[in-house]
Amino acid sequence: MMAEEIIPAVQINNLTKIFPVPFRKEKVIAVEDLSLRVEAGEVYGLIGPNGSGKSTTMKVLLGLISATSGSSAIFGLSSSETASRGSVGFLPENPYFYKYLTGAETLSFYGKLCGLSRRKIKERTSELLSLVDLENARDRRLGGYSKGMLQRIGLAQALVGDPRLVVLDEPTAGVDPAGSRKIRDLIIEFKQRGISVILSSHLLEQVQEVCDKVGIIFQGKLVKEGKLEELIEIESQTEIILEHADPKILDQINKLVQASEETRLLRSGKPKTTLERLFLKETRAESEDVRKDA
Amino acid sequence: MSADKVKSVKDDLVLQHKLFSLSRVWAIAFNTFTQLVRMKVFYFMLIFSVLIIGANFLFLNFTFEQELKILKDVSFGAMTLFASIFSIVGTALLIPKDIEDRTLYTILTKPVPRFEYLVGKLIGIIFLVAVSLVLMSFLFFAVLYFRQHGILAEEIKMIRGGATDAQKEYLKETIFAQGVRPELILGVLAVFLKAAVAAGVALVVSTFASSTLFTIIVSLVVYFIGHAQSLALEYYFPEGQIHGALQRFIAGIVAVVFPNLQMFNIFDGLITGQSISTTLMFRLIGLTGFYLTIYSMISWILFAKKEL
Repeated sequence: MMAEEIIPAVQINNLTKIFPVPFRKEKVIAVEDLSLRVEAGEVYGLIGPNGSGKSTTMKVLLGLISATSGSSAIFGLSSSETASRGSVGFLPENPYFYKYLTGAETLSFYGKLCGLSRRKIKERTSELLSLVDLENARDRRLGGYSKGMLQRIGLAQALVGDPRLVVLDEPTAGVDPAGSRKIRDLIIEFKQRGISVILSSHLLEQVQEVCDKVGIIFQGKLVKEGKLEELIEIESQTEIILEHADPKILDQINKLVQASEETRLLRSGKPKTTLERLFLKETRAESEDVRKDA
Repeated sequence: MSADKVKSVKDDLVLQHKLFSLSRVWAIAFNTFTQLVRMKVFYFMLIFSVLIIGANFLFLNFTFEQELKILKDVSFGAMTLFASIFSIVGTALLIPKDIEDRTLYTILTKPVPRFEYLVGKLIGIIFLVAVSLVLMSFLFFAVLYFRQHGILAEEIKMIRGGATDAQKEYLKETIFAQGVRPELILGVLAVFLKAAVAAGVALVVSTFASSTLFTIIVSLVVYFIGHAQSLALEYYFPEGQIHGALQRFIAGIVAVVFPNLQMFNIFDGLITGQSISTTLMFRLIGLTGFYLTIYSMISWILFAKKEL
């Protein structure tokens, strides 16, 4: 008996996308022979410089443009079939929505497109507005939203249909560090719930924090791909972090290293926190002080 | 997620997806309508009111027939103008803007076929035109009604020694023949059908146009040529003599690209008190249905593979 084939959440095979240049013979190769696979429940980070082909790959996957050659599929259904988008949530980069609709109306509109019942739409709208901290702005028109709020309502619309695959194109663009962290936490929550995620971001630290697998795309080609841990591990180096280290112990370690023929001490000193962590710590402490004063 | 579970996701997606869903189309149509209403397009009612109320006072020295005729003429003219502007500008403004703003990405990445998006937009705009025509008609009929009664009272007053019952009856009959008649509704219906065809033209243009301005200009050109289409066909094929496959093909293409909009201008006859045959109305409804079907299909063909 043949083993049952495992259907991945996303399968892209030898994708090539060429854009013709109007009134010229030359063509632009946006993506060349790209193949990738995202397993169900996996968080995949697609990283690369501007114009490297990340958005084009996402657009082909979501059926917004067609492939010049190769194929792409979501849960085994070809991207050219509308049914393939039945369980997909997409947040484009810098999204614009209908500015005449309120936050709640926007989610209701997208809920209807996903075929949700009236009762379900009502439930999901309240649930998602609370999730993205926009409950206070539910009846405000989107024309009056800030960039960060638009990004958050964009994330909520992507989740309205309870998708099993979420595609996020620069989800933290224009969002403050607290909002950015919130999005990171949400991605971790998706992973725990078995939702597959494709994430394209310039914030490599964030990609590193949440992704299981990473693909580096450069000039339309996937130049490196693999499990994140395997990719970033430096085989020849070992890290030791000590707390409250006595100078004598450090001295002994140094001497041991010097006595060794092969081992070299590359760096020692105090590890640094990130600016993001510092910002979050300080703003949290400040808001707690304000609360206490009140 | 296990392999079985993923396999069932695929089956679920296939089973749950509806090839065509009226509720999705209606969601897009209603959203289009809401968007246009909130863009405060109904402020045009103020201009329309000024126009038709002003028409009452501009021509005070005219006979009552001329006065009522001018009122109907101005009202039908304004209704045609506003309905056509709404249908062309509304379509041109919304679809290219959805593409430019990438709002379309968020719609088409839901399980929404492109055909449903186009039909939803078209229905939303046609619905707006219908509502605006209903509002304009109410105002038009109300002004016409009060004016015809005002004129009747003035005419009776002008008869020296007081009008007899027979004179009153005669005046009433003559004046009211130029006033509110149920047939005027057919005129409004024809204005609506013409605007719907214009929206269809703008829909086709907006699927390949790169900007709002281009869509408006091309649609207006087609709209104006559409009024002269029958004259051109008569000139090139006198007395309807269309011979051979090539001539038939050319005439067919011209008729599709430039719809015969002159046919919808039936209000000229209505204003002078002529009646409109039911056959003509059914013909206009059929023609509008034909054009909208053809335009929706052409738009879909152009839009189905459009790179967004």
